[in-house]
Amino acid sequence: MSEMIAHLQLGFGVALSLQNIALAFAGCLVGTLIGVLPGVGPIATIAMLLPITFGLDPVGALIMLAGIYYGAQYGGSTTAILVNIPGEATAVVTTLDGHQMAKQGRAGVALGTAALGSFFAGCVATLIIAALGAPLTKLALLFGPAEYFSLMVMGLCFAVVLARGSILKAFCMIMLGLLLSTIGTDLETGQERMTFGFPPLSDGIDFAVLAMGVFGFAEVLRNLENPETRDVVRAKIGRLLPDWNDIKQSFLPVVRGTAIGGILGILPGNGAVLGPFASYTIEKKIAKDPSRFGRGAIEGVAGPESANNAGAQTAFIPLLTLGIPPNAVMALMVGAMTIHGIIPGPQVMTKNPELFWGMIASMWIGNLMLLIINLPLVGVWVKLLQVPYRLMFPAILIFCCIGIYSVNNQPVDVAFTALFGLFGYILIKLGFEPAPMLLGFVLGKLMEEKLRQALIISRGSFMTFIERPISGGLLAVAVIILVVALLPSISQKRDEVFTE
Amino acid sequence: MSLNTIERAQGLRVRSQQDLAAGLFMILLSVVALFLASDLPMGSLRQIGPGMLPKAFAVICAGLGVLLALSSLRYNGEKLSGWSWRGVIFVLGGAVVFGLTIRGFDLGPIKVPQLGLVVSGPLVVLISGLAADDRKIKELVIFAIVMTTFCALLFKYALGLPIPLAPWLLGI
Repeated sequence: MSEMIAHLQLGFGVALSLQNIALAFAGCLVGTLIGVLPGVGPIATIAMLLPITFGLDPVGALIMLAGIYYGAQYGGSTTAILVNIPGEATAVVTTLDGHQMAKQGRAGVALGTAALGSFFAGCVATLIIAALGAPLTKLALLFGPAEYFSLMVMGLCFAVVLARGSILKAFCMIMLGLLLSTIGTDLETGQERMTFGFPPLSDGIDFAVLAMGVFGFAEVLRNLENPETRDVVRAKIGRLLPDWNDIKQSFLPVVRGTAIGGILGILPGNGAVLGPFASYTIEKKIAKDPSRFGRGAIEGVAGPESANNAGAQTAFIPLLTLGIPPNAVMALMVGAMTIHGIIPGPQVMTKNPELFWGMIASMWIGNLMLLIINLPLVGVWVKLLQVPYRLMFPAILIFCCIGIYSVNNQPVDVAFTALFGLFGYILIKLGFEPAPMLLGFVLGKLMEEKLRQALIISRGSFMTFIERPISGGLLAVAVIILVVALLPSISQKRDEVFTE
Repeated sequence: MSLNTIERAQGLRVRSQQDLAAGLFMILLSVVALFLASDLPMGSLRQIGPGMLPKAFAVICAGLGVLLALSSLRYNGEKLSGWSWRGVIFVLGGAVVFGLTIRGFDLGPIKVPQLGLVVSGPLVVLISGLAADDRKIKELVIFAIVMTTFCALLFKYALGLPIPLAPWLLGI
């Protein structure tokens, strides 16, 4: 306990410097600014804003990125409530009751409840991360290559099961991501693999190029094709702060949502996405009058929003302690960290404690910033929501172009990104959901390395993955969830959850 | 025709164009990958060579593609909807033009000098903006100038990224 307080003290010492507070503020602000735009989800937001952190030192850059991440998350909720467009899967639930509240002239209360609930969830999740960070990092030291490999296999299985749409197609995307990750120079032998003899490919496909192509450009193409019907709320926003009655109604859902989201978020493999759904279902089950749900019940906003934020934050745990991103957004954070020369994993905490704890402290500050920024600026967000898409996407495009160019100062990267934009567009047209591909791509190199190491240690015996207890257990979990998900009755349920 | 054969005939019709195309696409990618990786040594399990994983992943991808194609014969699914090539051409074309002009290029007989952000920025906004159905040229031109100015101030001055503005005019 005292150790944890000392760590947090160190963290706040770093995060509370004037420069870092300013960076957290700026990150939250621009994150919300872009995240609020309809049709721009958190992945696209972070990919687009990555370049503005390039000039910073690693600590500052990470603090700003964390701010962007929260801003993007919260911006998504704002869009869900005010326009009925979920920026990503987890905001779907918020649209159900949030948008109804907005239509009833209680948009302000919905936004305020979401912000306060998220803040509460963020505070708790920060404490969870601080408490679990050190022990989990020690656990990570028990992990050999075999365990890492099995953990990643399990994470990918979770990602397949929890992806939107068909399981088979999600599986395809993961494998395609893994396949793409093998392009480039082989780490051990130095041999070029599948590069067409083209020099820019010898370092492999650049992460930013893939992410911005598939999530920036291809998303623009997707949105251009389906002109969205923007249902911007015309009713008054109303007061922002929930009154005593609202607080009484939403307090317990917030606590439950935080617990559910926080626990699910720790799971490797996109458990966070389940949080809002689980929270909504539970609130509806235990409500005295379930029929209010879908018609503007405040619990239906408070619970899922807290679960969303708690999960969004505890999803950092597998990343920071084990170096394994649990979902596509975290995969993006890995890419961002690598650009700044930090390889996420257990060594970060021991080698760069001020970076590790500074970032955790800044998570809390980021949540506070969101509260401070969002509530007074709601009017600005509403104005932004009225910007027509015909102006929005050229702006997105010039941002992406400058961003990609700035990663390596290579003009050819921009052309590559356009190519991946086309690739992503084809995938979307074929009914694939590309987020799992990004996760597979990021995990691919690490998986290959660990697989090779494990097999060298075991002298070529695959049994090592089953014989070692931790590794065997992880693989067993992976097999179980795959089997369970493929059982007809469950897969029907799954379809219901994701279509609801 | 007996009922049985009618059923069988129905059983073999493509029920989801989208899934069939997706399956074939996966198979195509796998074949390309297998071809590119064909000369990479597999190595042994004890010492995995550079070719082992690419080939293994490609084979799994191909297998999934076959499954997907087969399932398109069995389960009803979506049709392939229309492709909007205008979006693809203008949006991606705009990006390519940006890449070509920002630092200039030299492709055989065609030479473009370093034009910098002052030219590339408006170009990408204007070209991509044409992709919208409800485009308004005047508005787009003004927006291109405003966005470029904003980006130049933000990226070049506020963030200090080394992006050429207009080497041919301003020397920076």
